[in-house]
Amino acid sequence: MTTTVEETAPAAAPGPVHTGRMGGLLTALAPRSTPVMIVGGVLAIVGAYLPWVTFVLNEGAYPEKATLNFFVAPFGVSGFRLHLLILGVAAIVVAALPRIPARHRIVRGLGIGVVAVSLLNGLWITVSGGGLGAITAADGAVAFGAIAALIGGIVLMLGAASGGLEPKPVWEWQLPWWVEWLLLLVVFAVVLLLVAEVLTSGGQGGVVNPYAGVVFLSLLAALVGAFAALNASGLLTWVGVVSERHRLFSVIVLLVCALVLPLTSAGTEYWMTVASNIGVYAATAIGLNIVVGLAGLLDLGYVAFLGIGAFVAANLSGAAASQIGIHVPFLLVMVISAVVAGIFGAIVGSPTLRVRGDYLAIVTLAFGEIFVRSAQNNIGGLTGGANAIPNIPAVGLGDFKFSDSITIGSLRLPSGVMYYVAIVLLVAAVMLVFANLKNSRLGRAWVAIREDEDAAAAMGIRTGPIKILAFLIGATLAGFAGAFFAHKTGVVAYDSFRFLESVTLLSAVILGGMGTIPGAVLGASILFVLPEKLREFSDYRLLIFGIALVLIMRFRPQGIIADRHRKAELADDDPEDVAREAPGALPTEVKP
Amino acid sequence: MSERASEPSAQEDQGETLPELATPPEEVVAELAEDMRDAPTTATGARGPILESAGVSMVFGGLRALNEVTFSLKEGEIIGLIGPNGAGKTTFFNCLTGLYTPTSGAVTLRGRPMPQDPARVTEAGVARTFQNIRLFPSMTATENVLVGRHVRMKQGPISSLLHGPRFRRSEAEALDRAEKLLAFVGLSRFSDELARNLPYGDQRRLEIARALATDPSVLLLDEPTAGMNAQETEATRQLIFAIRDLGVSVVVIEHDTKFIFTLCDRVLVLVQGELLVEGSPDEVRGDPRVVEAYLGAPPDEVEAQLQTGAGPASDPAAGPASDPAASPASDAVESES
Repeated sequence: MTTTVEETAPAAAPGPVHTGRMGGLLTALAPRSTPVMIVGGVLAIVGAYLPWVTFVLNEGAYPEKATLNFFVAPFGVSGFRLHLLILGVAAIVVAALPRIPARHRIVRGLGIGVVAVSLLNGLWITVSGGGLGAITAADGAVAFGAIAALIGGIVLMLGAASGGLEPKPVWEWQLPWWVEWLLLLVVFAVVLLLVAEVLTSGGQGGVVNPYAGVVFLSLLAALVGAFAALNASGLLTWVGVVSERHRLFSVIVLLVCALVLPLTSAGTEYWMTVASNIGVYAATAIGLNIVVGLAGLLDLGYVAFLGIGAFVAANLSGAAASQIGIHVPFLLVMVISAVVAGIFGAIVGSPTLRVRGDYLAIVTLAFGEIFVRSAQNNIGGLTGGANAIPNIPAVGLGDFKFSDSITIGSLRLPSGVMYYVAIVLLVAAVMLVFANLKNSRLGRAWVAIREDEDAAAAMGIRTGPIKILAFLIGATLAGFAGAFFAHKTGVVAYDSFRFLESVTLLSAVILGGMGTIPGAVLGASILFVLPEKLREFSDYRLLIFGIALVLIMRFRPQGIIADRHRKAELADDDPEDVAREAPGALPTEVKP
Repeated sequence: MSERASEPSAQEDQGETLPELATPPEEVVAELAEDMRDAPTTATGARGPILESAGVSMVFGGLRALNEVTFSLKEGEIIGLIGPNGAGKTTFFNCLTGLYTPTSGAVTLRGRPMPQDPARVTEAGVARTFQNIRLFPSMTATENVLVGRHVRMKQGPISSLLHGPRFRRSEAEALDRAEKLLAFVGLSRFSDELARNLPYGDQRRLEIARALATDPSVLLLDEPTAGMNAQETEATRQLIFAIRDLGVSVVVIEHDTKFIFTLCDRVLVLVQGELLVEGSPDEVRGDPRVVEAYLGAPPDEVEAQLQTGAGPASDPAAGPASDPAASPASDAVESES
């Protein structure tokens, strides 16, 4: 039943010879990679149990009883310390079992997680504690948890690197269909719970809850490690293959999972609002992904289309401040908003006939500025200027308003849950649009234009209309999202659509992975959840975005979730992996 | 490339080591020919001129790149275009395909003026390849060919969105054609490989397959054998004959005179933007003006060089000696195989 295509190197084989920086150290460690990895795992566990902070910080006690003394509560570890414990134990187990394929690679993933968690918490404590004393020795107390765990993580990564990183194994298990369905159900349920956990972790950021940001980031860091390890084991790829085999089933289950999120711990009004906002930006990001990811047209003013959709909807909502005093049904409003945004999209897209690349980016940038300035100055009285258009009525069906809470028997769903359901359906529809377009004559034409515009023209593609169509469709999708946005937030103001928002959307697409649906959704989620969690860091928000983007571009240029093509395009640009992988790691690769 | 370079270049070996380099499988050719016959652009069977240029001149600033070039391509003909570097061959190509608008003169396709837009030129039935390979590097071989089908598919945004039955039928047909074309050029095994990962010679073949996907009646090949070894060059020659047999007229730019003389029904020599000589390979080969202009050396010396360069493979029988207009599908093919 189990077949692995890749052979795993026997554990007893002499270690690989390393070159480059630290090559000598790695070669020396190579024969002892297993004990080294176990030592790293043990250090991570020790770090989880040691105290982390020497004194109570000004903002209040650090989460997870990090100020407690050694072994006060041996089984009471929770939060980031629990994550470290799990990562450490997992690393030891994997390191100690030589039969696990690609175990060095898995341990490297776990090591990355340990390093990230300990570095993050350690740095946070150091900064808010006002110096290194906070994580070493001060006020007569010692706290070496952060340092022990960090060293443990580094040792794990060193040990893994010295053992030689095996190629990722490929699993070709075929189970009976019902087992696979069950497995997919479990996987998606776990994903749902994880999403709820990530969303709510740390709670709502703000003055009363100073550690919301770090708890959230720490969970993310631990998940990154776990994800890297799972990915290294090849299991993630296998689950992907299985879900591809049962595509329709997976899509339905995922949709259902998204719809039952209000029943989890995330089912409060606040998180529903956050989730709905993410949905709006995810839908917009998918639209942008058509323009940027597929057609390769850099659009720096894209959020203007979201704004156009929102202002059109606001003016047709019957709000007191709107210029047009009529109330149009919501579904019709959505269509009108989308059409108007699409028309503007086509107008903005028309310069693409003449300008390319950087010049096009400047044209779109200018368009975004024109829109914001016009809205700010209330041109035509349609935008309310600095007063915005407030009090947009909630969407309703008869007497029921989308903003009401729902009570079914003993189950009470928070207010805003209907908006959440609606946005999930909208995002699903936008995804369908994207996927269908991508796999069509039109989608291929876009990609061809992105790859080589002259060659595309020589293949009979009318590049001009096709590029304008990309702008038009992208803007239409943003218009839909904008109409929704107007009713959901109740206020439409020009400053929701500034250049910064365009850049954030673009970052979401690049961060998540250009040309992929999950990438855009993931990117939008990350970039729009972070500000909620890091309220106290709102001044540094852009700095953090910038650093994150630079890191992503350095270590994973294809984005978190890579398009199949882009992955291959950029795969051999990762010098580290290519250098250390055994020959034949890329069996299908034929070098030109 | 390295994989291919290490193969023995002797032609006898190619059947065993690289079966796909041999001539395209007969059933594929038959099916393809049938498919392409349905296309509105492909050959009508008449032997009349299909692509003509009359007094085409192209001036860039003060540089006269083309001067009054007049030629005509008949259906089912293979024409070679040779000339030293900078003679205006590629400029002429670009004029033919609408990339450049000639300063004066006219290009006509089946008597109608050639549209001045690359996409419309392709739609009208003229496909081309590029001197520097210009595939879509991050698309698979199949997807590259599917892009070539774009112009013959009619699915608009709405049906692309809805994926209805007609859409799916059209996609299936396109995919089927792409598979046949890949088999035709011998790249079936690479159908899911990204274009950028293909060996160099295969990238050139893929470019040809992509151009053929547009159902052309005229195919313009810009240095199809540049950088190829003898074995690959021979395979390309067979491929071009097979393309001609599909009813596609071919214009080839090439530096390799031996290749041109054994391939083409007629050869045009461009020198400094002027059409110097036009005639059968034998006539051109023997023309002292060509020898002098093309190689820029005293005729006697170079003529000898050219003759030996033509080499033992291209014995006089290889080039069609008869009037190409009367018999475009000359017996050159038969005598070669």
